[in-house]
Amino acid sequence: MFLIFKRLWQVNWAEQWQYRANLLMYLMYWLVSPIVYLAVWTSIANVKGDVNGFTANDFITYYMVLLICDQVTSNIIIHTFAYKIQDGSLSGELIKPIHPMLTSALVNNIAFKMLTIMGLTPIWAILFMLFKPDFSGIVLTNVLLAIPVMMIAFFIGYLLSAAVTSLAFWTTRVYSIHEFYFALILLFSGQFVPLPLMPKLIQDIAQYLPFQLLLYFPIQLILGKLSADQIVMGYIMSGIWLAVAIVFFSLIWRNGVKRYSAVGA
Amino acid sequence: MQTLKLLSAFFKVNVQMSLAYRADTVVNILLNLMWLGWELLSLNIIFNNTDTLGGWGLGELIALLGVFRLVNTMMIALIWPNTEKFNQSIRDGSMDYTILQPVNSMFLVTFSRITVWRIWDLFLAVTLIVIGVNMAEEVTSAAQILTFILLSLSGMIVIYSLWIVLIALTFWFVKFDNNVTILQALMDSGRYPATVYPAWLRIIVTFIIPIAVATTIPLQALRGELTLAQVFIFLGVSVASFAIASRVWKSGLKQYSGASS
Repeated sequence: MFLIFKRLWQVNWAEQWQYRANLLMYLMYWLVSPIVYLAVWTSIANVKGDVNGFTANDFITYYMVLLICDQVTSNIIIHTFAYKIQDGSLSGELIKPIHPMLTSALVNNIAFKMLTIMGLTPIWAILFMLFKPDFSGIVLTNVLLAIPVMMIAFFIGYLLSAAVTSLAFWTTRVYSIHEFYFALILLFSGQFVPLPLMPKLIQDIAQYLPFQLLLYFPIQLILGKLSADQIVMGYIMSGIWLAVAIVFFSLIWRNGVKRYSAVGA
Repeated sequence: MQTLKLLSAFFKVNVQMSLAYRADTVVNILLNLMWLGWELLSLNIIFNNTDTLGGWGLGELIALLGVFRLVNTMMIALIWPNTEKFNQSIRDGSMDYTILQPVNSMFLVTFSRITVWRIWDLFLAVTLIVIGVNMAEEVTSAAQILTFILLSLSGMIVIYSLWIVLIALTFWFVKFDNNVTILQALMDSGRYPATVYPAWLRIIVTFIIPIAVATTIPLQALRGELTLAQVFIFLGVSVASFAIASRVWKSGLKQYSGASS
């Protein structure tokens, strides 16, 4: 098994490396929104002193950490996999004795992630000099605690996206469904603004959804804004949602593959 | 006259093409409404926490959202589909047929594909602008509204010209098929007044990829913040950028030598 993953890594890394110029474009594209949000909220905080207890520096540090968290926990499986179900090129992968989504596609996503993080590093350093965040509130224990959280969050997000992608077995409109799913993430993950500034109703719903585990929870954990109880609670929620995501994904995948009949069949 | 006839012909063809995908159109409109809901909610969140954003009120930001949606519609309904077709035609050489037509090739390349259902977005955008202007507390004079409309149009001409330059670069660098990504990437910055951005970002969105020229600046005209001289400068810039774009397009065409040679 290890050998398989090693070989998959070599193949996928080489594949992603080919597209490094595209990757840089993707990074540019993805960077703009968080920077715009950062600018908007810091300008408000600068005028008022603070927004509901969030100072300008709180916003700067929040979005600076968000840039890293988002790169670690997000995935691109919809773009690399849905078309395979639609055009039938999945057939070739189905006859291999390994799970297409949990091996090759997963490694492909991680290779992509490694490259984007490499690209992000110098950009992040430049943004650090431009915005001058004060990270003095960060302690090492919290960062160490956040690493497993982000890894679990990546798998939760990956499995949920993989489940959404698998809807391509049933419908050709999977990209529209994914757009809706993307809007849910935007609404409930803390991507637009730290969750406490959201309307009460959205905060209440967000508590029970997995999306805040992808961004809001690890960011606040790293920034040292959470109490011990909240950290424990976040860990428990991560565990529960990981289990739910595994069951959810396998159900959809198993039923989907049964329905699958490649183009031309 | 001939141009108008061609435009209406393009429009008809595109309506026919999109009628084949009626259900898709409905889904797309629903998604579009969802994003409008999100945009209004995000403004609501901002103004729950503050009274002004960079001195602008909620009404002004709704009007800005309308202007942003105008530009964004041009991006999605015109720039995307035509760029895709253009890049393809450079790669496979079908650009030959475009050049052979007895019509201005720049016009042909930039208007032959229109995502028709997006037209309704224009109505939505205008509605947002009207609502926003009415909500804004300051009284706006007819002159301010006129300069606002003029500068919105000239801003869109600036973006259009930049688009021409970007795709014309493909004549020199055939593999440059990421040509409009940079434009799309900075699009989101048009949702908020550029005046709240840090200086470096403001410089990028005003001078390099001038999204703000088409969004923030018309709104500033509406607020009566621009002097007459500034208004004329921006109008001049749009004329100049269009002239430059046409020149770049022509010299690009000279570079083009088909796909096989």
